[in-house]
Amino acid sequence: MPKYAMTIDLARCMGCRACMVACKVENNTPEEQFWMYVFRLEEGEFPDTRLTFLPRPCQHCDNAPCVKVCPVGARYKREDGIVLTDFQRCIGCRYCEVACPYGVNYFHWKSPKKGQYLNWNKDAEVKERGNGETPPWHNPDHDRRYGEERRLTAGAVHYKGVMGKCTFCVHRVEKGLEPACVANCPVRVFEFGDLEDPESTVSRKLRESNRFRLLEDVGTEPRVFYLNGQPPTSEHRQLDAVKGGKKG
Amino acid sequence: MSIQARTLRDTGVGRWGPLSVAAGAALLAIVAVGIAAYSQQLIHGEVVTGLRDWGTQGGSPWGLYIAFVVYFIGVSFAGISIAALVRLLRIEALQPITRMAELLTIVSLVLGAFSVLADLGQPLRGITNLFRYARPQSPFFGTFSLVMAGYLFASLVYFYLAGRRDAYLLAQEPSRLQWFYRWWAAGYRDTPAQRARHERTSFLLAIAILPLLVTAHSTLGLVFGLMGGRPGWFSALQAPGFVVLAGVSGLGHIAVMAALVRWLLPSTREQIRPATFRLLGIFLMVLGMIYLYFTLIEVLTAGYAGHEREQELVALLLWGTYAPYFWAGTVGLGAAVTIGLVQGLRGSWNIGAVVAMGILVNIAAIAKRLIIVTPSLTHGSLLPYGHGVYIPTWVEVAIIVGLMSLGALAILAFSKLFPIVPLESEHAS
Repeated sequence: MPKYAMTIDLARCMGCRACMVACKVENNTPEEQFWMYVFRLEEGEFPDTRLTFLPRPCQHCDNAPCVKVCPVGARYKREDGIVLTDFQRCIGCRYCEVACPYGVNYFHWKSPKKGQYLNWNKDAEVKERGNGETPPWHNPDHDRRYGEERRLTAGAVHYKGVMGKCTFCVHRVEKGLEPACVANCPVRVFEFGDLEDPESTVSRKLRESNRFRLLEDVGTEPRVFYLNGQPPTSEHRQLDAVKGGKKG
Repeated sequence: MSIQARTLRDTGVGRWGPLSVAAGAALLAIVAVGIAAYSQQLIHGEVVTGLRDWGTQGGSPWGLYIAFVVYFIGVSFAGISIAALVRLLRIEALQPITRMAELLTIVSLVLGAFSVLADLGQPLRGITNLFRYARPQSPFFGTFSLVMAGYLFASLVYFYLAGRRDAYLLAQEPSRLQWFYRWWAAGYRDTPAQRARHERTSFLLAIAILPLLVTAHSTLGLVFGLMGGRPGWFSALQAPGFVVLAGVSGLGHIAVMAALVRWLLPSTREQIRPATFRLLGIFLMVLGMIYLYFTLIEVLTAGYAGHEREQELVALLLWGTYAPYFWAGTVGLGAAVTIGLVQGLRGSWNIGAVVAMGILVNIAAIAKRLIIVTPSLTHGSLLPYGHGVYIPTWVEVAIIVGLMSLGALAILAFSKLFPIVPLESEHAS
């Protein structure tokens, strides 16, 4: 059984947020939801200011507070370490979101909009080229069941009133592919792999670099390791925070 | 045996006067608005509420619904505690209000359960999955097992058993509801042997229920107190604080309710005496003082030794966004305690003043519940997210007010079916 982990090399990150876009395209998350988010942070006073960037996927904690508090076991941790939500069991109480100190959970506040980003049916040219057939509006892999448990866990917008969050792209990992954010980063900030394998890139990078985990003192034991950087402090101010969800 | 002191007519049973009809109709109308609001939420999802994700969406995933889950369950404290006090310590002055207190417990527990359902994104799944996949490791488990099931069941049993004697007495008189009273009495004839058995059962039940009282309200506190990554919540004082504030709001409610019944049903004035209110006032005052003390210690600890985010939250409560709620809660409670102290020192307790205490502590309790839930979600992030905002929408307000009206309606309807004050003291003879 592999032990999946992710490394994020902060020395490489330039804050382009391509991972956020890749995640949205791959997982078809609704508007205002960012399963991957990149903080653009500023510290110091003018003229001595410094910019840093901090990508924030789900931390897939070994001691996950969200898993502990779920009253129905919809949020669970697989043996390989991936923390997932069973969309068919979730009752939508949002306790996981409240318990998580990282803010990675996104609730489906409204009914899922089918074809929210891609609606080929309206595109006459696509229809013509495909002889009347149009590509699906979302990745059909999202509808498959994964792991020994065979539970519905991949992608977004299955139901309203359930929780969603980063799945480490479980539907890609099961095929032997990297998560979308890892695969799409132009400067290879992310590595994803097996900690059990000492020769994997994540294992090697963890041996060779300075590392920290987010909010280490909360005791969540994340599986996401940050390399070559410093944890954020209260001196950091967020620049151009995404404006989502809030009226006004 | 006959009904000595009062006849059925005096108890208000079966009589719908113009005031009752008007009140019932008004409450029904408010409940209808609540149902309309909830159907909006069912159709469109919780996007119609003011709730949003914390973090990048800058909202609060829990709000009015959870605050009132806590409030309603807190109010339920009254019934069991009064029933247990009367049985175990033989406090005669509280005996006439045991039935309305137990009724209040049952009604408020049901309202608490409805508020949980209002909060769920998938309420139907909630009803099935909470039982089917129950996980005792989740602090929520206690809310459903201990509180909603155990506590409610125990209260219902208690309520039923305690009412059998009156049901037997009422079944002696011909009325349209005679069948109902016969059914409730279920063979009880008030013989000395039956009475002795009834006393013993009630006593043992009271002993069994008392630990449930503490555990149930503690579990609710632990829903918040065990969240290690949430400044403002993670505190060992959370559980005891919940127990005490539950007592304050529950007893406050019962004081107001007892005064209302006394005012509306003149025949009960000989039973619900000023001594009843004196006791309620003393309990309210003592519990209020304990809670004020908890508040002081909590603010001191977090403000003096807490880490940065903890201190920020304290500032927010003391003079920031949430200051109006914090001070409404603290001043309301302080005023109630002061009224109690003044009366206690003068040695004379006034019914109106105790009612004022009851109203004040409930305003305080609602304010406190709101600031237990939201500030830690909008401003309690340990990562550099921006601060959040939470403003409830009309849907949330309508659902909560609708639930309150539903509760009032249930109590009103019950008072027309069954005497809300026991016919005569059980220990009198």
